[in-house]
Amino acid sequence: MTWADSLRTAWAGMWSSKLRALLTMLGVIIGVAAVITLVAIGNGASQAVASRIETLGTNVLFVTPGPGTPFTTRQVAYIRDNTPVARVVVPLLNSGGQLSVGTSTLAAPVVGTTPGYQALGAIHLAAGRFLVPADITFNRDAVVLGANVSQALFGAGNPVGAHVSLLGQRFTVVGVLQPVGQGPGTSQDNSVFIPLPVAQFLLSTQNLSAVLVGASSPTAASQAQDLLTNLYTNRFGSASSVTVASEDQVLATLSATRATFTNLLAGTALISLVVGGIGIMNIMLVSVTERTREIGVRRAVGAVPEDVVLQFLLEAMVLSLTGGALGVGAGLVMVHLAPLFLKTPAVFTPSAVVLAFVFSTLVGLVFGLYPAVKASHLHPIDALRHSG
Amino acid sequence: MIRVEGLVKDYPMAGDTVRALHEVTFEIPTGSLAAIMGQSGSGKTTLLNLLAGLDGPTAGRYWLNGRDVSAFGVVEWSRERNRTIGFVFQAFNLLPSMSALGNVELPLVYRRVPPRQRRERAQAALEAMGLAHRAHHRPTELSGGQQQRVAIARALVGDPPLLLADEPTGNLDAETGDEILNLLAALNRQGRTIVIVTHSAEVAARCQLVLRMRDGRMLPAAAGGGA
Repeated sequence: MTWADSLRTAWAGMWSSKLRALLTMLGVIIGVAAVITLVAIGNGASQAVASRIETLGTNVLFVTPGPGTPFTTRQVAYIRDNTPVARVVVPLLNSGGQLSVGTSTLAAPVVGTTPGYQALGAIHLAAGRFLVPADITFNRDAVVLGANVSQALFGAGNPVGAHVSLLGQRFTVVGVLQPVGQGPGTSQDNSVFIPLPVAQFLLSTQNLSAVLVGASSPTAASQAQDLLTNLYTNRFGSASSVTVASEDQVLATLSATRATFTNLLAGTALISLVVGGIGIMNIMLVSVTERTREIGVRRAVGAVPEDVVLQFLLEAMVLSLTGGALGVGAGLVMVHLAPLFLKTPAVFTPSAVVLAFVFSTLVGLVFGLYPAVKASHLHPIDALRHSG
Repeated sequence: MIRVEGLVKDYPMAGDTVRALHEVTFEIPTGSLAAIMGQSGSGKTTLLNLLAGLDGPTAGRYWLNGRDVSAFGVVEWSRERNRTIGFVFQAFNLLPSMSALGNVELPLVYRRVPPRQRRERAQAALEAMGLAHRAHHRPTELSGGQQQRVAIARALVGDPPLLLADEPTGNLDAETGDEILNLLAALNRQGRTIVIVTHSAEVAARCQLVLRMRDGRMLPAAAGGGA
């Protein structure tokens, strides 16, 4: 029996019991669709991170306290005094909060900071002004809205001078930022900025989330990084009490985490593909038993055991590959739908399709082999005598 | 066509061996219409399986179509069945998922005959059985007699010199059974060697050569009728 004949037989066999074939393939369809969708979501998240690289400029250092390290506003002066190469030193207190205007509400990252943040060069105003020294001095309840926040709460209108409720306090909108990118989550388009002392008061804390140090050049940034690392290691006795990292390094760590996340998603999806393969093996074993008599007849008219192996193996592969093809189709649909429902970008990669196809082929081969070999080992006499 | 000497078949059974065939020796000349006759348990089915190479003998020698096939392996026997032997079963054994034509094509598929050619030959074989108009029907849409004629077409499509029929009329009513026997007799007259395994004296009476079996032994030829 030639390959073409086996393939035709396998295809006809699948076509003659469509529902059963579809149910058998379902595991592989879901598995392949999951690989493609989840890898796309993972990639989307990574690209969102990458798009933030430009947000703060490359000469900026993040000084971040480790868990339990006391890190108050005094650190700003401490860093400024000890780091002459620092051009700007800006404290940050990150939090989240519910913004409301009238009946519309929105959850957004809230950044407590100082006017120095603007000097980092990452933000540009679309309307109004950024925080000014007087906002800090007089603890004004002033808020600067990210572009998306403004859009969500006020639409196309100019919100400067309007009031929003945030952290149980009424704030006056003093400015709106220009949009920077499509990054989700904590991108500054989605954030709001308020004076640091106000944030500390409302959150009842003296601590900071981080201090940003802006240097005038990459060399200066690198010098400042070494200096501050030594300083804090000596002061707290451990290098992990306070981390000093460039934005690139922070992003690298973040990207690595995202990559792990993507791999984890892909791994989970591949497991479901393997489960799909077990489903195929299950049905192929049933099929071999059901068709014992057919195997006997084929052996009687001249099929050698290899012909029987080929026939059943190709049937398993036709199932897994058809499942793979349907899965790719379903995956492409999901990649387009996921961003609408999950509010997360999904970036389609052709390599995910290749991966999914290679795996579904392997699944067909590996899980089809045992039933096929089992079929070929049937003794023709027993097979012919088999009732049914 | 068939020559067998001292054929023995033992089956292991619960730690013991049961001898199903006791040194059977016989010859069926080319062109015969022969019957192997016996009650169930006489060993006639075991003998048929050995003649078809579906099972191997414990001892003895076997010449098929002038060749010693005693030591044939699984693959050699598959080829031999494909080219030398046509099979007709009691229960027809047509594949239900295929049309009559597809079933008849099957031996040619394993002989690697190209699709168009085997389609033509299968169609011709069905025509010879008077079933050209049923070529595209599934076996379940055919009567018992028609199914058996499809099975005979399948057995003949590869033009094998030997036809082995295992109770070919067993599942048919008397009239249809008669038709099938007439068909086999006609094929025999065209020069094909035909061996029918049966328990029926009526069927055996239609054959020129009758080999009688009892308890795994071949009874002396004198006890038979035939030519």
